[in-house]
Amino acid sequence: MENNNNVSSSRGARYSRREFLIRSGLVGAGALSLPALLAACGGGSSGGAASGGGAKELYFENWPGYIDTETVKAFETATGIKFKYTEAFNDNNEYFAKVQPLLAKGQKIGPDIVAPTFWMADRFIQLGWAQKLDKAAIPNAKNLRDDLLAPSWDPKNEYQLPWQTGVAGIAYNKKATGKDLKSVEDLFDPAFKGKVGMLTEMRDTLGLVLMGMGKKLSDIKTYDDAVAAFDKIEKAKSDGQIRAFTGNDYMDDLNTGNFAACVAWSGDVMQIAKDNPDVHFVVPEEGGTSWYDTMLWVAGSENKDSVSAWMNYIYDPVNAARITAFTGYFSPVKGVREELVKMGGEAAALADNPLVFPDSNSVSRLQTWGSLAEAEEAKFDERFASITGA
Amino acid sequence: MLILAAGAIALGAGWVSGAAAIAVLVIMFTSVVSIVWTAFVGGLETRRALAPYGLLKPGIIWLSLFFLAPLWSMLEMSLSTKKSRFDFFPSFSWHWGNYATALTDFGPQFGRSFFYAATATVLTLLIGYPLAYVIAFRGGKFKSVLLGLVAVPFFTSYLIRTLAWQNLLADEGPIVGIINKLGVERVFEFLHIMDNGRLMNTPAAVIGGLTYNFLPFMILPIFVSLEKIDVRLVDAAMDLYSTATGAFRKVVLPMSLPGVFAGSLLVFIPAAGDFVNAQFLGSPQTTMIGNSIQDQFLRQLNYPVATAMSFVLMAVITVSVLVYAKFMGTEELM
Repeated sequence: MENNNNVSSSRGARYSRREFLIRSGLVGAGALSLPALLAACGGGSSGGAASGGGAKELYFENWPGYIDTETVKAFETATGIKFKYTEAFNDNNEYFAKVQPLLAKGQKIGPDIVAPTFWMADRFIQLGWAQKLDKAAIPNAKNLRDDLLAPSWDPKNEYQLPWQTGVAGIAYNKKATGKDLKSVEDLFDPAFKGKVGMLTEMRDTLGLVLMGMGKKLSDIKTYDDAVAAFDKIEKAKSDGQIRAFTGNDYMDDLNTGNFAACVAWSGDVMQIAKDNPDVHFVVPEEGGTSWYDTMLWVAGSENKDSVSAWMNYIYDPVNAARITAFTGYFSPVKGVREELVKMGGEAAALADNPLVFPDSNSVSRLQTWGSLAEAEEAKFDERFASITGA
Repeated sequence: MLILAAGAIALGAGWVSGAAAIAVLVIMFTSVVSIVWTAFVGGLETRRALAPYGLLKPGIIWLSLFFLAPLWSMLEMSLSTKKSRFDFFPSFSWHWGNYATALTDFGPQFGRSFFYAATATVLTLLIGYPLAYVIAFRGGKFKSVLLGLVAVPFFTSYLIRTLAWQNLLADEGPIVGIINKLGVERVFEFLHIMDNGRLMNTPAAVIGGLTYNFLPFMILPIFVSLEKIDVRLVDAAMDLYSTATGAFRKVVLPMSLPGVFAGSLLVFIPAAGDFVNAQFLGSPQTTMIGNSIQDQFLRQLNYPVATAMSFVLMAVITVSVLVYAKFMGTEELM
């Protein structure tokens, strides 16, 4: 029995060894063709770049929940451009880290247009990762709100135009708080211990806390100006006051009441409040931050005409209004309110929604960050990262 | 064999490019061909002698290219410095300071990771051993079904399973609801399982998530080692006037230790480096080293420090595993 076994196994072994040797020969052949394969890959990408001139294409990578369901299709129909729209933008720093390996080497990333927030757009431009827009082909840019044009870091709007704008303030779930909130200090109320959320978007979280301490954001130039606010956030974290630092994913926690109160973006809250009347948004009495997300034409993209066509398309108040009706963010385009009224129904109701068109009182409390010098920004980022703990 | 490994590493680590890369490939190819050729022309003896090398080849090439080469690049990176904040190509400079930073700035995260992973390992053992025991000895005809059920969670994405816990543990969720109905929240607070009336975003939630997600890795190896045990050995122990407990302690347990050892490693090592559970079930006070590495890599773009942290993690895990192996006694494992 034992013997028999041995015989059969050794026969099996011989057979499989022969087969193995043949196979390893195949592997060798595979290795030989590898350089050819690599060459093919390299050629493939440059070939792809060159083909941009043929069929008209456009690829826009944006933040989640930032466009309605019709506009993408409507644009394709109106222009005949093949349009790819994705929502992979979840966090400015994360996105930067994702595209850096390619852009730093001067290679193409997939999208033609990306949507970094203004301060990140500044960084993209400084690093040479954005191309000059063909402003002549975007006549509708004349419809843009004046306050969004010509920021100090792109004084002629050569490289970027706004996508949507919004406000960071405080959102709260009244079922969990039991009362209305109106101050930044409410985030530090011991009654909400372990039920407060803050954003990983530093300028919004830190900005609110700074304003809560009576500072003006435009005065914040150095790390020393902000260190007290950092200390306050760090203390709240080690006291267990802060439950989590989140990106866009705070919406669930706010909705279910895991967060009694949190730093939040106006449009998100408007979307939640549609279904959950307990969720409210307020621009704190000490102030809220005003920000905007841009559209940049990424270095390496060759779809110049499509990029211009898209920007021109969405700066038409009719199209801009359709986007606003869904996202609930402030439109960068003038005349959207009138268009919403014309649309009637739910959209018309938005024209009177203070979250979409804030009253002048709230607007007067909004503040904007100035540019931070590179060395100072590094200190800000480092401290904030050490607090958010990850 | 060495030529192949060195060639694969050289290609993977990016030492060579262009014409040199092709030259390396040609050398690798030639070495493969020469072995194959020697085997073909040589007699049975030659082939028998060469067989082990042939069998090792796929593994060697795979691991050299996809494990050793990246490891080398990471080692280089961990000793590099960035010229500026957005410098994507840190330059190699024997900068050991990265390791100092990794240890001084992230001490608490390292400590937490090992504490959470060790606790989760003990919990999986306490839950998994009895389960594996019942399946192995009392499973009967349902044995394979039960074993299949253990593996069922793997059919769902790891991420989805963890996210499902968010709903279960939510402040307004079912578990907290039951605890509050029973009025035992004080007991849970005392045990530090609950914190200020919540289960989510606490250390307990993170450890619970790790325990749940890695439980099958403990059950399966223990089951395998238990199943191999001949039940007649237990009968023999009983015949020799052993009590049931004594038989378990002196016969079954020692024979199942290899499974316990393998299971512990399979749970502890990935749990120590895990970042998913702390990310979705934890709070800013429960961040584990995996989260810190991810953050340094993907948000702070601090590749040198992030790689240094990874090497520290690897070193600590290796040492603790060696100590554990020593403690468990390798002879008993054989």
